[in-house]
Amino acid sequence: MPENENRIEIKNVSFSYDIDDETSGKAPRLALDGISVTIEKGSYTAILGSNGSGKSTLAKIIDILEVPDSGKVVIFGKDASDDDLFWQIREHCCCVFQNPDNQIVGTMIEEDVAFGPENLGIPNPELRERVDQALKDVGLFEYRHKETMALSGGQKQKLAIAGALAMKPDILILDEATAMLDPSSRDDFLTLVEQMRVEKGLTLITITHDMTEALRCDKIVIVHKGKVALEGAPEEIFMSDDLWKYGLKRPVKFNFAFEIAKLTGSTLSKEDLKSNETLIASLVKMLTKPGLTMPENVVAEKKPVDESDIIMSVKGLSYTYGGGDTKAIDDINLDIRRGEVLGIVGESGCGKTTLISHMNAIIRPVEGDVIIHTKDGDLSCKNKKDTMKIRQNVGLVFQYPEYQLFEETVYKDIAYGLKKMNVSKEEQKTLILDAANKVGLTERELNSSPFELSGGQKRRAAMAGVLVMRPGILVLDEPASGLDPKGRQEMFAIIKGLRDSGTTIILVSHNMDEAAVNCDRICLIDNGKIKAVGMPAELFVKKRADELKVQLPRITRFSAVLRTELAEIYPDIEFKGNYFNPEKEAKVIVTAVCEAGDHNA
Amino acid sequence: MLDNVSLGRYYPAHSFLHDTDPRVKTILYAVYLVAIFIIKEPVSIGVLAGIIILQLIMAKIRPGILWATVKPILPLAAFIFLINIFTIKQGYVLFSWKIFTITDYGLSRAAIMAIRLIFLIISTSILLTLTTTPLKMSDALEKLFAPLQIIRVPVHEMAMMMSIALRFIPTLAAETQKIMKAQQSRGADYDTGSFINKVKGYITVLIPLFVSSFRRADELAVAMDARCYRGGKGRTKLNPLKITLKDVLCGILFTLLAVLVVVIDLSLR
Repeated sequence: MPENENRIEIKNVSFSYDIDDETSGKAPRLALDGISVTIEKGSYTAILGSNGSGKSTLAKIIDILEVPDSGKVVIFGKDASDDDLFWQIREHCCCVFQNPDNQIVGTMIEEDVAFGPENLGIPNPELRERVDQALKDVGLFEYRHKETMALSGGQKQKLAIAGALAMKPDILILDEATAMLDPSSRDDFLTLVEQMRVEKGLTLITITHDMTEALRCDKIVIVHKGKVALEGAPEEIFMSDDLWKYGLKRPVKFNFAFEIAKLTGSTLSKEDLKSNETLIASLVKMLTKPGLTMPENVVAEKKPVDESDIIMSVKGLSYTYGGGDTKAIDDINLDIRRGEVLGIVGESGCGKTTLISHMNAIIRPVEGDVIIHTKDGDLSCKNKKDTMKIRQNVGLVFQYPEYQLFEETVYKDIAYGLKKMNVSKEEQKTLILDAANKVGLTERELNSSPFELSGGQKRRAAMAGVLVMRPGILVLDEPASGLDPKGRQEMFAIIKGLRDSGTTIILVSHNMDEAAVNCDRICLIDNGKIKAVGMPAELFVKKRADELKVQLPRITRFSAVLRTELAEIYPDIEFKGNYFNPEKEAKVIVTAVCEAGDHNA
Repeated sequence: MLDNVSLGRYYPAHSFLHDTDPRVKTILYAVYLVAIFIIKEPVSIGVLAGIIILQLIMAKIRPGILWATVKPILPLAAFIFLINIFTIKQGYVLFSWKIFTITDYGLSRAAIMAIRLIFLIISTSILLTLTTTPLKMSDALEKLFAPLQIIRVPVHEMAMMMSIALRFIPTLAAETQKIMKAQQSRGADYDTGSFINKVKGYITVLIPLFVSSFRRADELAVAMDARCYRGGKGRTKLNPLKITLKDVLCGILFTLLAVLVVVIDLSLR
């Protein structure tokens, strides 16, 4: 049938990973359960869903990396069950996966790009032309004789794109390809991919946890429990109130818009969500209509922090890695206040990890020092004898901590640190149960193997292994990376709970939105130096952010447009504060409009 | 961090030896291996050292890089030296104290053994790892061992496995460091305590490292599958190996030099 040639058709496909585990008596896990999806040629589709929803499996079915148990897969008129067409389909469909390191085959950049077309048996000189062209397309041509390992994360993902382009694909699938990148390399990467899509006429399918990224697409497919839960244009999808059920949420500007609609007693339609302009226009209309009720005051829910009570002082800290010429961190001076959440924000490679590695003497200070102020006196990270005490006082959870689990059960893994401290068995139990409770692990999970847990549970188990030592200071390096929106929110709820119980938290992040909402103070780091320290509301105002050359959180950027529009209507309008939580920011806007309205009347 | 791992690491540069056909380099390596293990006389060792220095210059390897390659092997060389020096009792006694005896013959044997080991490491680095990318290396082995395919040895697969292993050395080295740091934050101590405790401590690194290697292997396999890898059949090469006159001359020259060293050595005995 000719019309099929312009479509990817997945019809009633089921798929299960066969787990050879008869002893446990578990039924094979059904990853896809009779799913049907149609994707038009040349379109740009986002596949969304929670961790473990089956969305990555769906991508593998399209590239026939997995063969369905039942159902039909037809790619541009070619039936995937036909053995003769199998390689033809796979040739024209390329994938870029999440972890940059695990998809690079070659040691040298051009060798890696050539891997795909070499497999296809493309002869020289065409092979050489393809490789060179692909490298030029992604902007890596001048690096072609360099080692792949010398590239940054963002460059490695671009290399993966080049490897795909060299195969001249029709379909490009990005399987959480931006998850491990910082915001600027993420934007860079997406811009490149979208440009390639237009130039080469690609059908682009992206699997992502970033809702704002999904807004860039023509169509969104939400997968839940192996089935399509919702399907439609972004403005239709984000009208739905069920997103939370699927582990997802609205992009932050929509959350903010829906809050304003609620406060003004209006409703939003899908036409309003189509673009920033339509959304701003309808919000202005809502806010200028007569008879608005004043919302209750925005209350600060966080306990204020005593500014003079310092728990850790970083003094003149500099560090250079062996053999290097440039300083990874350069003269860092920072006081951390007892009970605060301090965000350390900066791009990949700015020295964040080097800085926090000094905080519990994993890297011993060479120049400068880190002092921990405890009840029993000061501890210096320079002092070797204090190492164990420092590590009890300062818990450090690195990025992807689930990769350090090793014991037979979660319980034993959490106990590891306590055993090292010679804590009695009885006391261990109390501490472990308390730590598990703080991160929300059940008793059943405690007794299972850490390798049986889901990604989010594993991460919490690893966090409990640090929390169990009751550190007064907890340093978290990107605690939410790789989690779906619901998982992220749960992680930040855990962090808030820890703060409320008196733990001082140092949160390393490259996500401005989350840092702004969750931190009391933010320390911006750039090229190993502190650029600014201050409260989010002070740092993230347009003028200051421009001076510092940092990107404002998404909500602030969007709200700023609305504020400007409103100021034109009410010249003497006064906005009281600058908030990053959509609910609070909406209240501030509505309050300001009400007051300005009264004044005018 | 990665500077500690120079084993099997490629050193990107443009040099005569970098450009030499990897098959020629592999054969030369075999030749020098034999030469290194035959020679005993100081004069021939000196000549061989001269040839190695010539090769270093031709490969444009900086002394720093060479030092990083040789450094990890020095304790082993020292150990071999000491074992030989104290166990060989033949020859004229130079020094004797309680059970320790050093003879002139023992001293020279010990020195030769240590020098052989160091030469071996340097030759491996210059001729193979530092100047040849893993992919070229595996291409060369695939070509050289191709005749074995007749007796059903999976030559292509073995070559591919080798190049992937080399490609992942730096990745896994970085990962090991990361896991060690994470466990140290939880109170693990890899430096002090008894030997048994240290070994126990490494379990906390090895298990996560194994799990992660399996995960990486799995992901890499899917990625290779997605890029249409289906074994060596029908594959083309971006940079097919080509033997030029220059390669042949280089091969002949260095083979003759090796033969010369052996002849000098044998004639001096």
